[in-house]
Amino acid sequence: MTRALPRFLLTAAALAVPVVLIVLPFGSFLMSAFWTKEGSEIIREFSLANFRDFFANATYVRVFLRTLLLCAQVTLIGLVIGYPVAYFIWRRRGAVRYLLLLAFVVPLFMSYIVKIYTMRSILGLNGFLNQILVGVGLLDKPSLVFLYNQTSILVTMSVIFLPFVILPVFLSLDRIPRNLVEASADMGAGTFGTLRHVVVPLSLPGVVAGCLFTFVLALGDFVTPQMVGGPTGFTFGRVIWSQFGLAFNWPFGAAMGVVLLSVSILVILLAGVALRRQRV
Amino acid sequence: MLDTALALLAGLVLLVLYSPIIISALFSVVEVNGGIIDWSSATLRFYAELWQNESILSAIRATVLVGVLSVTLAALLAVVLAFYVEWRHALAPRLVELIVYIPFLVPPIITGLSLLIFFVDVGVERSVLTIAIGHTVLVLAVLFRLTLTRLQSIPPSLAEASADLGANAWQTFRLVMWPQLRPAVLTGAILALTVSFDETLVSLFVAGDTMTLPLRLWAMMRVGFSPEVNALVTIILAFSIVLAIIIALRMRPNTERHDQ
Repeated sequence: MTRALPRFLLTAAALAVPVVLIVLPFGSFLMSAFWTKEGSEIIREFSLANFRDFFANATYVRVFLRTLLLCAQVTLIGLVIGYPVAYFIWRRRGAVRYLLLLAFVVPLFMSYIVKIYTMRSILGLNGFLNQILVGVGLLDKPSLVFLYNQTSILVTMSVIFLPFVILPVFLSLDRIPRNLVEASADMGAGTFGTLRHVVVPLSLPGVVAGCLFTFVLALGDFVTPQMVGGPTGFTFGRVIWSQFGLAFNWPFGAAMGVVLLSVSILVILLAGVALRRQRV
Repeated sequence: MLDTALALLAGLVLLVLYSPIIISALFSVVEVNGGIIDWSSATLRFYAELWQNESILSAIRATVLVGVLSVTLAALLAVVLAFYVEWRHALAPRLVELIVYIPFLVPPIITGLSLLIFFVDVGVERSVLTIAIGHTVLVLAVLFRLTLTRLQSIPPSLAEASADLGANAWQTFRLVMWPQLRPAVLTGAILALTVSFDETLVSLFVAGDTMTLPLRLWAMMRVGFSPEVNALVTIILAFSIVLAIIIALRMRPNTERHDQ
């Protein structure tokens, strides 16, 4: 027997806050993407004009595509460096293993803005990188090429998001039963044989999760390009942010937000499909 | 051979990952001239000066206020919602779960601009409260996940036994369920606090004129690198590292796997 009224009241009480603080804001965002701005007026009528303007503008589309490429590069660098590091931690034993894991997880909690700031001071004209390169004689004088361009965004994002690859890869390596690895060794496979045929295939869920985190985080980042990108280093996130500041066309910014959100959802779905394939 | 190469790589990566604390701690106490560290200039003066800088103090106050408000509210909501989705008469519990996770799953820029558009639509002025609301929806997912996992691991027989012994719903919650949930909620709260403490991307959208620590730092860094900034950065990083280690220690004893 269900008592309809108390059930309804309890539901309403429990859901009121999430609906007001989550559903309504996301609803406003999605709706405003289909409004338009004329002069200083926002026309509250359904229109696809923002999306048409966006895809018809070669500059915006180029920034959008270049950002996708940038995020793919950040993900790839994260994987190429992060996987071996996770594998290294996994091969340790006991307290060393736990402490190493902790050492690589703690940077996740270190201030994001400080990491960017540090990267800027490393890459800058008077930064460590220049001082080292000049010191060992590779450069005659400090170079400006390390900061305020597209590459400095790539380097900075790769460093910031690296722990997001290491942790999931380690967690999925940790789920591999030891006896599988031992069996592979007993049957005569060397370290590389076991790595290639046993360890890597079984750790793919962690690889997919790590890549997913990195790609989505890099896609939405607008502070890194702002701080190390200089005048030429534009990313999609930075373009969206600028619509809410200087350019001040919120509906257009919301529409680009919808494009960014669609890409994120697509990437999440693709990762889901990849994981399901893996399990079969 | 392989292990040596991997150890070298891991060491190098650690050096890069910890460069923020190494560099800022160094520059907060000494001067560097022409690549050479001048140890005679070592001073803790800049740490003392921080406490006289009103803009930094007000940023610290705002950060603490936002953290306490948002984590308290999110912890309350997380417990209520965890019980709700486990209730057998709940409407669309999976949908409720999805809604709670949305702000954490989508890129922060989307959560930030959604809240901004919503606040302006309903005529809410941007202030320290709107930042707190932004952080609440963001950390709710973390607290909810940890609370729900713990709640699901409590045998239903406990609550049934409590009812059989004559306890009412509130007594069962207070005396049986809450002691079981408390460690998970507390761990979630500390984790949520570290997220709130460092949150930048959502805050930038909903902050208005209020400056939390990350926003104040951003403003200070645009101007330049002073020893004072480095001192502040060192304190912030040390604080986050301590919180991270507390979380790691709290989560360690329960390493039993939750394989589905």
